[in-house]
Amino acid sequence: MRGYLAMTRNEFRLFRREPFSVVFVLAFPLMMMMLLAAVFGNKQADAGKIQNGMLIWRGVTPANYYTAASVAVIVAALGLMTLPITLASYRQRGILRRFRASSVSAPTLVSAQLTLALATFVGGTLVMAVVARLAYHAMLPRDILGVAVALLAGTAAFGAIGLLLATVIRTSRSAQGIGLMLFFALWLISGTAPPRAVLPAGLRDIGSLLPLTHLVTAVQNAWFGLGWAGADLAILAAYALIIGIPALWLFRWD
Amino acid sequence: MGVITVDHLRKTYRRVLAVDDLSFDVEAGEIFGILGPNGAGKTTTVECVQGLRRPDGGTIRVLGLDPATQAAQLRQRIGSQLQDSSLPGRLRVAESIGLFAAFAHHPVDCGELLARWRLDDQRAQAFDALSGGQRQRLFIALAFVNSPEVVFLDELTTGLDPQARRATWELIREIRQGGTTVVLVTHFMDEAEYLCDRVAVVDRGRVVALDTPQRLIDALGLPSVVRFTTAEADLGWLEKLDAVESMARHREAVEIRGSGPVLALVASELVAHGIVPLDLRVQRPTVEDAFLALTGRDVRG
Repeated sequence: MRGYLAMTRNEFRLFRREPFSVVFVLAFPLMMMMLLAAVFGNKQADAGKIQNGMLIWRGVTPANYYTAASVAVIVAALGLMTLPITLASYRQRGILRRFRASSVSAPTLVSAQLTLALATFVGGTLVMAVVARLAYHAMLPRDILGVAVALLAGTAAFGAIGLLLATVIRTSRSAQGIGLMLFFALWLISGTAPPRAVLPAGLRDIGSLLPLTHLVTAVQNAWFGLGWAGADLAILAAYALIIGIPALWLFRWD
Repeated sequence: MGVITVDHLRKTYRRVLAVDDLSFDVEAGEIFGILGPNGAGKTTTVECVQGLRRPDGGTIRVLGLDPATQAAQLRQRIGSQLQDSSLPGRLRVAESIGLFAAFAHHPVDCGELLARWRLDDQRAQAFDALSGGQRQRLFIALAFVNSPEVVFLDELTTGLDPQARRATWELIREIRQGGTTVVLVTHFMDEAEYLCDRVAVVDRGRVVALDTPQRLIDALGLPSVVRFTTAEADLGWLEKLDAVESMARHREAVEIRGSGPVLALVASELVAHGIVPLDLRVQRPTVEDAFLALTGRDVRG
């Protein structure tokens, strides 16, 4: 516990000294929310539109839809990019070797990273909600606890994926390349860019296997007050366990 | 029973044999040197001993623990200064000591540690801003943060200037006085000779010799070299001495190779012949000579 606290404090300290390390992670989703909401507008008439037998905007206006979805994008960006890049560069530079020789365990290191990530999500969510409110008069989250639970589940799932990537990928440069590619692939088919209702059936089927889709649903459900998305939360938890445990097991220090 | 027992250690990477049937013991309170050319398997060996790598064969015990299965327990009792390690660039010196102390069951006083390793003035300096020597001192300091019983120093003085090197040697001796066992991996011969109670010379993954530096040299019967200058033309009588193996001459400079008390015998013979050179001196064989004789190559080769 003492180690976890020290490591977490350490990560916060490093973040404070280099805050721009997460600029993409926060700025990209915010920018996309602004642009997509500007493109599709905030008209109540759109809320009920149906395509392929699905409510395109889940029964809310496009601006609201993208506000909640973009919060989920922050989580994915951190898990697919920041976490593996940080860990791979720590490994590449011999920082992990140093940590390991001084009794730092992989769970401690990863929990500290994820604690910082959670704090980033809280900050990012607040900014997203306030900006959407001011710019588009979008709704504020109806169920704050539900949003928090969804973010927590998303952090666990994407933390596990990030850890697996950090284990498989050797260098921070390849982590950047692979992370970016995965991120954009997920972003495009998980309902965070085009809504899932407008996707062809094949892409929609692939999307329904992907964690970001379920995180989007979980965040949106809570945000719009539609009740907790139990099945989606369960799938995120399954992702966390099925990927996270072997990733911790396989974690390489050098 | 030694503090460290390594028995028939073997480790291969892919198909490259790094360590091949390597054995040695380290006793409590000694400074034990592992000396060898690059790629000899020194670092692999100490990494296996510290539980940072899993050996393919053989047994290792450190403080009665098996590093392969009891690494977590072991790491609380040993200190490591690793080769090729690093810290986050923006982490400051005092913060890094504090961070690692938080993982130690028996942390030492951070202020004292900083003072001892002359890092007082760098307390608030970021790791990226440290010089090579300062980084090295920080890593050595980190090796002591958990009050270790055994400390592993891999390339202790690489990157240190001559003064810092001397100061570091003195501190290592001081630490040994306090009862800590020190395992020193080095390719600096003077360092091994100055610091180590015993030295294992490792070559191609095996221990080729293990003894005190002096006995290592003596056992090889390497020649001493006596040098002096004289205008005297005929020195043939010196070659008749038993202790003299060979004599070479370049104008006035004379170089005699020999064993045993060659200096004393040559000196008395010279005096008897009325020659009293001012620059009579002897060069005794060093660990470096022993090393070259044992491995047949240069340290850095």
